[in-house]
Amino acid sequence: MSKVAVLMRKAPYGSVYTAEGFRAVMGIGIFEMDVALAFVDDGVYALVKDQDPEKLDMQPLGEGFPMLPEFGVDEFYVHQPSLEARGLSVDDLVMDVQLLDDAGLAKLLAECGTVMPF
Amino acid sequence: MLYMVNKSPLMTNNLETCLAIAPEGDPILLYEDGVYAAVDGGRLVEQMETALARHPIYALEADLEARGIKRLVEGIQVVNYDGFVGLVEEHNVVPWI
Repeated sequence: MSKVAVLMRKAPYGSVYTAEGFRAVMGIGIFEMDVALAFVDDGVYALVKDQDPEKLDMQPLGEGFPMLPEFGVDEFYVHQPSLEARGLSVDDLVMDVQLLDDAGLAKLLAECGTVMPF
Repeated sequence: MLYMVNKSPLMTNNLETCLAIAPEGDPILLYEDGVYAAVDGGRLVEQMETALARHPIYALEADLEARGIKRLVEGIQVVNYDGFVGLVEEHNVVPWI
């Protein structure tokens, strides 16, 4: 079974994509499949510190992602140009991640073979 | 990998980031509102010509016809549903949606 890349490209609270992606990744981890999680474009906003979506009646996703290693998910990648385009750096993120440039991201996706978009 | 784009390039940056990331030679398929990137005469033409030098670019016929798009940037290849399926069979897919 090849590795699955879960590609997160949407901002966390404007749609259900990020929350559904989170659920999918957790499921993939529980079934002990290899998974890499990649945050690209507005997807990087899902990892910023100090999220407080309680008033929106939504789950704080920023607290969820650092818990995923407990479910067997431990490959986290962030597209550095997306981060920089939003005025962010790794210091703004809730967890340690591996940074990828354009070519690095393309290589990751190609190595995984299966890409699930959220 | 086959990169698939389905959002209007004038409303989102989907096409822009896809083109930044897709390695030279990897094919790109425009479908749904993604086909607006194929339209000749707009402000994206130059960007599309640059992209066409690096990638085979396909646009789905039904989506072009549905939107009344007739004038395409030269070099874009129109595919029908069979062509779409053929591309997906031939490549692993990156849905850049």
